Amino acid sequence: MSIRKVIERLLFLVVVIWTASTITFFIPRISKRNPIRERFGQLARTGGFSPDELEIIIESYSQKFGLDKPLWEQYADYIGGIARLDLGVSLYQYPKTVLELIQEAIPWTLGLLVVSTILSFIIGNSLGAVAAWPRAPRWLRSIATPFILFMGVPPVLLAVFLLFFVAFRLKALPLGGAYSIGVIPDQSLEFYLDVLRHQLLPALALIFGTVGGWVLSMRGMGVTIQGEDYVLFAEHKGLSGFTIFRDYYLRNALLPQVTGFALALGNMVTSGIVIEQLFGLPGIGTVLYNAIKANDYLVIYGVVLFITIAIATLMVMVELLYPLIDPRIRE
Amino acid sequence: MKKWLLTLLSILVVFSFVLSACSPSEAPEAPAAAEEAEEAPEAEEAAAAEEAEEAEEAEAEKVEEAEEATGGIAEVAREDTLVLGWSIASPIGVTNPWAVPGYTHQEGNTFLWEPLYWFGIFADEEIPWLAESMEYTKEDFTELTIKMNPMAKWSDGVPVTAADVVFTFEGQMNDEKLPYHGQFDQFVESVEAADELTVVVAFKQPAPRFKFEVLMLKFDTGIPIVPAHVLGELDSWNDFPGDLDMPHSGPYTIVSWDNNQKILDLREDWWAVEAGLIDTPDVKRIVMFNLGGQIGQNMDVVAQRIVNNEMDSALDMRSDLIKSILAQNSDITTHAGDNPPYGYLDWWPNSLWVNTQLPPYDDVRVRQAMNRCVDRDTINEIVYEGAEIADVYPFPLYPGLQAFVDSPEVQALIEQYEPRKFDPDEAAALMTDAGFVLNGDGMWERDGETVSAVINGFEGIHSDIVPVLVEMFINCGFDGSVNFGDNAFQNMVDGEAGMYMWGHGASLKDPYAAFELYHGRYSADLGTTAGTNRWSRYSNPEYDAILDEMAPLASDDPRFHELAAQAMEIYWRDVIDIPVIQWLHRIAYNQTYWVNWPTVDNLAAGSNGAFWAHTGQLVVTNLQSTK
Amino acid sequence: MATVTISQQEFQQPSRVMLFFRYLRRNPGLFIGFFILIGLILFTVIGVLTIDSSDAYPLSVKPKQPPSLEYPFGTDFYGRDLLAAMVVGMWQTALIGVLAGAIGTLIGVTLGFISAYFGGRLDSIIKGTCQILLPIPVFLIQVVIAGSLDKRDVTIYTMALIVVLLAWMWPTIVIRSQVLSMKERQFVSVAKLSGMGDFEIIFAEIMPNLLPFIAASFVWSVFSAVFASFYLAVVGLGPLREPLLGNTIWAAQSQGAFFNGWWWWPLLPAIAMVLILTSLALINMGLDELANPRVRRTE
Repeated sequence: MSIRKVIERLLFLVVVIWTASTITFFIPRISKRNPIRERFGQLARTGGFSPDELEIIIESYSQKFGLDKPLWEQYADYIGGIARLDLGVSLYQYPKTVLELIQEAIPWTLGLLVVSTILSFIIGNSLGAVAAWPRAPRWLRSIATPFILFMGVPPVLLAVFLLFFVAFRLKALPLGGAYSIGVIPDQSLEFYLDVLRHQLLPALALIFGTVGGWVLSMRGMGVTIQGEDYVLFAEHKGLSGFTIFRDYYLRNALLPQVTGFALALGNMVTSGIVIEQLFGLPGIGTVLYNAIKANDYLVIYGVVLFITIAIATLMVMVELLYPLIDPRIRE
Repeated sequence: MKKWLLTLLSILVVFSFVLSACSPSEAPEAPAAAEEAEEAPEAEEAAAAEEAEEAEEAEAEKVEEAEEATGGIAEVAREDTLVLGWSIASPIGVTNPWAVPGYTHQEGNTFLWEPLYWFGIFADEEIPWLAESMEYTKEDFTELTIKMNPMAKWSDGVPVTAADVVFTFEGQMNDEKLPYHGQFDQFVESVEAADELTVVVAFKQPAPRFKFEVLMLKFDTGIPIVPAHVLGELDSWNDFPGDLDMPHSGPYTIVSWDNNQKILDLREDWWAVEAGLIDTPDVKRIVMFNLGGQIGQNMDVVAQRIVNNEMDSALDMRSDLIKSILAQNSDITTHAGDNPPYGYLDWWPNSLWVNTQLPPYDDVRVRQAMNRCVDRDTINEIVYEGAEIADVYPFPLYPGLQAFVDSPEVQALIEQYEPRKFDPDEAAALMTDAGFVLNGDGMWERDGETVSAVINGFEGIHSDIVPVLVEMFINCGFDGSVNFGDNAFQNMVDGEAGMYMWGHGASLKDPYAAFELYHGRYSADLGTTAGTNRWSRYSNPEYDAILDEMAPLASDDPRFHELAAQAMEIYWRDVIDIPVIQWLHRIAYNQTYWVNWPTVDNLAAGSNGAFWAHTGQLVVTNLQSTK
Repeated sequence: MATVTISQQEFQQPSRVMLFFRYLRRNPGLFIGFFILIGLILFTVIGVLTIDSSDAYPLSVKPKQPPSLEYPFGTDFYGRDLLAAMVVGMWQTALIGVLAGAIGTLIGVTLGFISAYFGGRLDSIIKGTCQILLPIPVFLIQVVIAGSLDKRDVTIYTMALIVVLLAWMWPTIVIRSQVLSMKERQFVSVAKLSGMGDFEIIFAEIMPNLLPFIAASFVWSVFSAVFASFYLAVVGLGPLREPLLGNTIWAAQSQGAFFNGWWWWPLLPAIAMVLILTSLALINMGLDELANPRVRRTE
């Protein structure tokens, strides 16, 4: 591991960000849709604009947002903006900036998606490792099976069922929302507990829906590693089962899983978009969903880019941290 | 080198764990965590659960901090609070009615702003408000005199005077970004304050409908009066959001507004109470709870929350949903009580519109054929459980319009054109006549092109009927499909091929406003933007002449009626659009905490029950507590 | 290695089919997965042969009927016979899955092989592209693409193509790494020394050993494709008229089926969806085991 490697990885990060921003810039253009028009079209629903007036207004605002410039110029502005961490303003929620929207939403998303991903990672990998470990007691190994079966249940589907049966029928947990209706956020414990209660169902749906994937891949990884010579060697050396499990088996099996963690976060976002929306949580998924529905270009760009950067950064970080966990790579 | 690297890495680790909202004190252990994690999986899980809790709290704290900045807000008991469910999409802090883009009255801002007059549709009553009176002072509808209520005051104590009205009207006349600029430009010659409390409006041409259509607030039309002493000071009133403290005349003030909810508290010094127009409202606080997403999504969850008494009302529902709500909570009622159709007639009858300038829809035979494919009886049976909802008019059948429809002239037209008739054979004959042949898939085709019957609509409100319509068209040989995509509205605006499921929102008393939607002056050319409700782009000088003659006539003029029947004939003859259903507002009223909702048996203030419409203020201020 | 297995089979006599079933017994995941899958296939095939598929579309039968003798799966709000809708929906879901899975795997295997076997600049380009594309949330791109199509162009086939568009990177990476590790194994070196050509080595030596991985990767791609098409349906971007399982479930959800007491409408397609995904996951797991023969020893 050299400084060259670090620079290389950081360069990689820049390329990923550039690619993501280019894709997100050009793909919405395929649709030939004009967000300004749509914004005013919607406004006009409640008013009596005439077509000519509408055209004038649309033109003046297109100018304001730079949408009348040639494509390459918009692209240059856009990339330049990203370099300055300026993601522009929301067309739909004008004058809010994209960064402000993300900032408002991110605590909720971190709270739900990241925590769910971490929990799912830990539960799934523990169960998967044990399931693949031939010396573990049979009952312990079989715990994993039902979780694998949950793999076939999309989190969104689970969420729909949980909402109806647990929240509506049993009235056990709230029917969505970030906190109870009419509650004004404050520092009290009561408020935190209220927030927590509202996060339980969506988190449950996300965790149960994704934990099976970890179980399965960890189990596969464990199975592969048991065949490796060093594990066989350790067995013959007469090391205790637990030591082998921890030092030879788990440590090696976990490595590729850690790489997968960053990608799993990406998948979680997919489910999160619909789940946050379904539960009425004001997170990044909801921001994105609304932006997609309203064709709010700059917000779509900004959020996709933000998510991509987060995932890519996490990936690079994991790669750079690898040598700390795996001595073999240090050379 | 290695040490330096390690330091960097541990900083990254710390960063990453801060990112995942863990408490920083745990961060230094992170690299080891991977190794130690599995020693005791269970314990780790428990720890993780704690971690999760902490994360939630940390996150809550952030939200909280933002909140704290707005200052402390008093506690209000649930019994004094009205909880309304709505999808709030407008930018936080935009309360200025002249903020463009961004202002909407539908998301609670209607509780801030007031008109000269309200109009209560079900009482058929004009309700003077900021104005004491408002009368045409010339026989030929070319002058209007407004007398203001001397008690009216803005929330900062400044009186509402003739100057505010003049400012409001002149703003509309001069600022083409304001929604009523077109109407003011067409009709208004000048506005003058005769004295502190009197305004005289002179019109360029007879404007018999101006007072009702523009100056009264009802449904989603009309203008509120804005404060001259606030907006007049600004360089650009379009860019001024208003925020939470903009002086207003309405009874409520926004005290908190975030992504989850908008909270409005009653203003104890509301002028209308002092003026004796109304008693002090029982509703001390309104919570507009943000349902999120697009209007009409996740309505079954909304229904569940209403059944559980979490919400007192929310936007209107599909027929089966409201029926289930009523069955599950006896405290809930609707405009029609527990009886079908569980709601009231809205002013928004839906048609299937097509771009009449675009081939093949430019051929009247194609439009006639499409109309013959709509089986309105089956729609009633399948979608509305037998209720009579499917209809053939571009306006709602409120009393004045029902009288028009019942007149012998219109009845004769119905006999002649049979607008309601379902007849696939006649459709086939019309299509053959227009040069179409059935292709191998059973679709009408001409020059290798099938007729697109992709119906652009809105999932939240049309998901019950549009799939049924699509199937009717497919069975009839039109290439049907559903588009509930986010571009559905834009397709209407741009006049793309396909059909548009959309309402009219025009006539309330006489048919003029609905017919005027098809006037040639609004018919944008192909490739340009169509105005809202002008999707048909219909252009016919004969029709325009009729409308122009109608414009200056009062609706009780016999000539007006004669002309209206002529326009009706052209509407059906040319199938300008294909009328499908009357629109019903099936709104749930939860009576656990609040009674005196406007219903068919109890008109309350006489308005419709939609709290999001301009008259929502009348609905809320007339509610009575069950305490 | 391959020759050794074949000679063993000749000794033991039982047919390959028997061996396969014997193996299934030792690999319960694979067994159950196959069992469910065969059940689903039987249901679909028999259904397609016996049922009038036009009943799967609106206005065909009396709406909102609970399951009965006449309509074993009930009918929905729009007047679809849900039995017919399920049959057609399963067929279409399978079509999207298999089509997208096959194309994705094919691209993955080809690129993975080229990348790993020939190495050099080609390898860096392919590997680099995959790595760069991987962190970009695929679904978001799919949503944007699907949203920009004319609705009449949105069919089962375009849906499969949209799904596959960004779903080949993972198979590529998996196959690449397997080929890389295999390249270093002795039997490949031996083959090289004995003068075998590249293609011969790829197809005669590496490919057979890689088959379980390819199969697993295929199953995984099918799984992801079904999943992705479900999400597209949920966001309303699929071919809405078709009774795809995702469409049926989401139509039920948006009409408040549970709340209105029409439980059969979302429930049965949801169960079918879960069964499809679970069987694929189990088969994938079983194939993993198959791919690591050394593990079988411990069972």
